[in-house]
Amino acid sequence: MAEAASSTIEKNNLTLKSSYGDEFVLEESIAIQSVTIKNMVEDGCSSSVIPLSKVDTGTLIKVIEYMKMHSSTSSNEEEIQNFDKEFVRISIKTILNILEAANFLDIRSLLDLCAEAVANRIKNKTPEVVRKIFNITSDFTPEEEAEIRNETPWAFEGDLDHSLD
Amino acid sequence: MNISIKENSSIRTNKNNVGCKRKWGENQKGKEKKDVTTSSTSKIAKILNYPEMNSDREIVDKTGYILLAVFTNMMPPNSKKQSLPPNVLGNLPENVIDDILLRLPLRDAVRTCILSKNWRYKWCKLPQLKLDQTLWETTNDLIPPTVKITDIIYQLLTLHVGHISKFILSIFDLINCPKIDNLIYFLSRNGIQHLVLQFPIGNPYKLPSSFFTCLQLRHVTLHRCILRTPPVFKGFHRLLSLELSQVTICTEFLGRFISRCPLLEHLLLEYVDNANNIEVNAPKLRSFVFTGNLHFLHLKCVPLLAKVSHESTASLLKAGKNDFVNFFNSIPALEHLHWNYNSFRFMVTGPGEVPTRLPSALNCLKHLYLSEICLEERVELLCALCLIRSSPNLEELEIKGPFDLIGKLLAPVLWSAVDEIPASFSDVTYTHLRAVKIKGVAGAWGEMQLIKVLLAKSPVLVRMVIEPDVVGDQSLKVLAKITKFQRASPKAEVVYNVDAYPGYNLA
Repeated sequence: MAEAASSTIEKNNLTLKSSYGDEFVLEESIAIQSVTIKNMVEDGCSSSVIPLSKVDTGTLIKVIEYMKMHSSTSSNEEEIQNFDKEFVRISIKTILNILEAANFLDIRSLLDLCAEAVANRIKNKTPEVVRKIFNITSDFTPEEEAEIRNETPWAFEGDLDHSLD
Repeated sequence: MNISIKENSSIRTNKNNVGCKRKWGENQKGKEKKDVTTSSTSKIAKILNYPEMNSDREIVDKTGYILLAVFTNMMPPNSKKQSLPPNVLGNLPENVIDDILLRLPLRDAVRTCILSKNWRYKWCKLPQLKLDQTLWETTNDLIPPTVKITDIIYQLLTLHVGHISKFILSIFDLINCPKIDNLIYFLSRNGIQHLVLQFPIGNPYKLPSSFFTCLQLRHVTLHRCILRTPPVFKGFHRLLSLELSQVTICTEFLGRFISRCPLLEHLLLEYVDNANNIEVNAPKLRSFVFTGNLHFLHLKCVPLLAKVSHESTASLLKAGKNDFVNFFNSIPALEHLHWNYNSFRFMVTGPGEVPTRLPSALNCLKHLYLSEICLEERVELLCALCLIRSSPNLEELEIKGPFDLIGKLLAPVLWSAVDEIPASFSDVTYTHLRAVKIKGVAGAWGEMQLIKVLLAKSPVLVRMVIEPDVVGDQSLKVLAKITKFQRASPKAEVVYNVDAYPGYNLA
């Protein structure tokens, strides 16, 4: 009996709606990895559809994929580690989308994972390469740039990576 | 319309024109399933017109997240080459940018100041700074590290604004440098909560008195430092974790220091210079790592202490059995013990001094890990047996032999003592013991008796792993003996790792 009772609790479903209007039904126990959603559930705002106006469909699918894996009881630590490693082998654009969604939904571990992935694309790279990867245009004059380099010269010394990967 | 993917997840779309009327769950048969799946998702993909998904990877979730797999495969293949809209990174919320910058080595974080005006001062507000060798190791010039670190600290402190909650300084070859004193003073006035100072080589660093004014501290790690007793010390009332490794400190003051951190939960004392009693008075302490001489440790008040890891360094100073008994008597809540047996080699001396069991049982102890123990050595076997006998609620037991035992037994186990083992366990049953791991079994009498007793006294044992310390026929003989032992648990699985020996010695 106890088992039946607990499984009905688990099967409490929530509906998440992306900014494109697509709806996803997800078990509450999985969805509440998001502190934002958890708070909504606790405040009783989850009976109808939860609109996520800042999260587009593609990003939401990825976020759900992540939450499902991380709430699965059948996968061990190693499987989850491998999943995480694969999960961030995607375009930087998608990572940034997920990062923003994870911040909005307040899913700490996903935020950490994506922040680490972004950091890895900055680590040890020349400023020129970082600008290219993230499409940043320098608005400094050459004189200004020289001055800034001089403030903390040690940060610009040594062999830096010129590759775009 | 409603397409259900699996019992527990489904996607609905509010667009009308999806030409799939069949529920996914109905398509259980091979090829048909695939066809229908593909056609229906291709339509979904078109409708959603979502170009950003990439196709590099195939996600086939075991739990049946088929949609996603097909969905991602439908996406254009060149997503990696798409460029980002300008300044996407810089427009992320500030806390997210901090999260990214905090994951970078300081050098890389500082270098972001040159990306654009938007990025000019982003790193300057970082609440956590880590200064270590990597800051100047890559430089080509020959400026001595001390000069270099002085410059770096100066530049950092003049540019940084706001609180610094966490600061890590980890440098080699530091000659006593006045700039670090200034730095500690600076940190003491900027809300430092987590301070790590490590000077692995060279002279230890003498902390200035401003250290004791860092009243916001929650975590402190000091490696090779000198702590002088300040005239006044009211305590760190928020400190949760204190780690002192090779720190020179007056033992009387160390006791006072600990007792004036009322919230302390984690304590590490490693090779702390001491010749007198260290008194530990920490009502909230839960975890304690101690490398040193037990004889000089007095756990006065640790009612919540649940996790202890101990390695002894007392090779010359003698300790007696009372230290052993007193130590465990003072940790009533002990749940998790890692005991490195280097300690026992010199700890209990003379025959008959190891008690059969402790005066008060370790009723909370669930996990016992004995490492570097030689069960052929009389005293060590007796101590191991004493701890195991005194822990009726064990759930997990692991015993690992020493690395370098080459026929140098100080006092081998006596046959008479081994014969008494079964009788000495007659009134014990391990009703919670589920996992046992014994590494480095050579087939000695003491070991075999212990294995026999554990199998016979553990009715819920699930798994016993044995890694022998012998090879070939010798190893098989040990195995043959073990298979004959009676098992109290019908479910007990005994895993005998015949080839473990070489790996064990290298491990």
